[in-house]
Amino acid sequence: MNTFDLLMLGFSEAMTPANLGFCLIGALLGTLIGVLPGIGPTATIAVLLPITFFLPPLAGIIMLAGIYYGAQYGGSTTAILVNLPGEASAVVTALDGYQMAQQGRAGSALAVAALGSFFAGTVATFGIAIAGPMLSSFALNFGPAEYVALMVFGLLAATILASGPVLKAIGMILIGLLLGMVGTDQASGAERLTFGSLQLFDGIEFTVIAIGLFGFSEIIANLERSGSEGVKLAPMSRMWPTREDFRSSWPAVLRGTGIGTFLGILPGGGATLASFSAYSLEKKVSKHPKKFGTGVVEGVAAPESANNAAAQSSFIPLLTLGIPSNNMMAMMLSAFMIHGITPGPTVLTNQPEIFWGLVASMWIGNALLVFINMPLIGLWVKLLTVPYRLLYPAILLFCCVGVYSMNNRIFDVLLAAGFGLLGYAFRKAKCEPGPLLLGFVLGPLLEANLRRTLLIEQGDPSIFVERPISLTMLTATVILLALMILPSFRKKREEAFQEEEA
Amino acid sequence: MVAAKGDGPDLLTAGLFIGFGALGLWLARGLDQGTMAQMGAGYLPRAVCVGLILLGGVVGVAALRRDAVAIEAMRLRPLLVIVGSIVGFAYLCEHGGFIAASLWLIIAGSLADPGGRWRSTLMLAGGLTAFGALVFVYGLGVQIELWPF
Repeated sequence: MNTFDLLMLGFSEAMTPANLGFCLIGALLGTLIGVLPGIGPTATIAVLLPITFFLPPLAGIIMLAGIYYGAQYGGSTTAILVNLPGEASAVVTALDGYQMAQQGRAGSALAVAALGSFFAGTVATFGIAIAGPMLSSFALNFGPAEYVALMVFGLLAATILASGPVLKAIGMILIGLLLGMVGTDQASGAERLTFGSLQLFDGIEFTVIAIGLFGFSEIIANLERSGSEGVKLAPMSRMWPTREDFRSSWPAVLRGTGIGTFLGILPGGGATLASFSAYSLEKKVSKHPKKFGTGVVEGVAAPESANNAAAQSSFIPLLTLGIPSNNMMAMMLSAFMIHGITPGPTVLTNQPEIFWGLVASMWIGNALLVFINMPLIGLWVKLLTVPYRLLYPAILLFCCVGVYSMNNRIFDVLLAAGFGLLGYAFRKAKCEPGPLLLGFVLGPLLEANLRRTLLIEQGDPSIFVERPISLTMLTATVILLALMILPSFRKKREEAFQEEEA
Repeated sequence: MVAAKGDGPDLLTAGLFIGFGALGLWLARGLDQGTMAQMGAGYLPRAVCVGLILLGGVVGVAALRRDAVAIEAMRLRPLLVIVGSIVGFAYLCEHGGFIAASLWLIIAGSLADPGGRWRSTLMLAGGLTAFGALVFVYGLGVQIELWPF
């Protein structure tokens, strides 16, 4: 079958009423949590993971993916209308978007954001359709040594490209690896790090960690920061952008899409990094960089296209290599695992309907978002006035029931509460919990492949430098690490992130 | 006058890393080490723990040299109330059924925010419990008894 036939197969899968329905639910839910500050897509997906267990595999995955890219849409709506970025990836959108809204051009900003996102989503979908089969046929030649090198590169690159101190992120990865080792050792059958507790013999459930670290500790942290400021709505006006807006935004959309698609593929990349980078690129190439921050349409178009493109292209490494590049993809990986599917090159050949169905559903979901959300903007904004006091008990209930339903075990709920406390401590220590999740999901894979490689080679690690692919990846890792130690690069990186935070 | 030293959040980080490393090493004490070619169950856990302790040491020493930064103030109310309500939910799930557990979780959990009104809290608790019972227990078939008997 050629790509066209496969895409058709994907569309026929994604267009079944049930899958279409779950795509819609996911997209709407994503928009909703994107609009509401205080609930991120990571926490939402953690909460919904157990529920997807009750759905057919493709439907569950389509819904979760919809939440991820739907959140990018929703986040931009509040960023523009009320200067409250619902998601981290919409922070830069607020800079120019809110200014536009203040000048009575809110409709225009929203439309540019939506259309730019749709365009970016379309391009990124085709990117996946083209790059997927290529990368995965390449990955079919990978042996265990290549996988070890790829995972080491992925984990370390993820820490360097993400913001925050690198040493802390590496430590979080190590803690994640350690947590992944809890339970029965696959090779020898020995019990490891279980405190002798029977309930831990099967290891720790991913959902328990994710809900504890992201769900519970986020609620506690949000409640600590009491006193939410009143929401001031910008006046709504004409919906359609002017011809002038179109002319100045389309090159920005193209650049944003390009940069977003590219950054989404990199480990550690993703929607947030993409939108920040697209904004600074736009500022650099612009003829009037001084005007940025005063309501320039490019300042909305570029980051919005970029974050949507990246949200989608970050599926590429997961679907083709089985390696998640950020914590959202770690969630998706475990969503696949719940259904007994191990993402990787074999999915494409053995279960093409999963891969192509997901790709097609992303495009459909993006189209749905444009057509459904534009008329609903008023409703979403009204939701902003729902106080957090009424929201968090609902989230709490979903979290508790979700954790319990995985194995029908009370123990898991208590363990998740423990991880909530741990997550709280990590917040106080200013440690990002994202890398921990990556380490946790990749840990068992990494260990199995490392042991296999060394067993074949009888304990001789030189195989890692003899195989060209593995050598390339390890060299790239060493170069990245060396760059981090160089003071000039470190300063530049810090500056880059500071600029983003400002 | 010497300014106080010690970056609070980083020192806490160092403590967490070293604590996890030490705990891991202690738990892994009886595990088989093995060799490079035939790694035992304890080989990689030990390697990771040693890495964590070293890393914690580096972060900690660097933090001691920096100027003092305080850890953000803790507010005990949300922390204790939320954790307490979850633990109570877990206990009640087993002994009191879903209805009681869910009502407890929402009513007790609502106390974490001082601004709540009793009326709205009770209405919220009733509504969410009914929703949870319908969607989770009947709809999705989560295995929890609704009532204690």
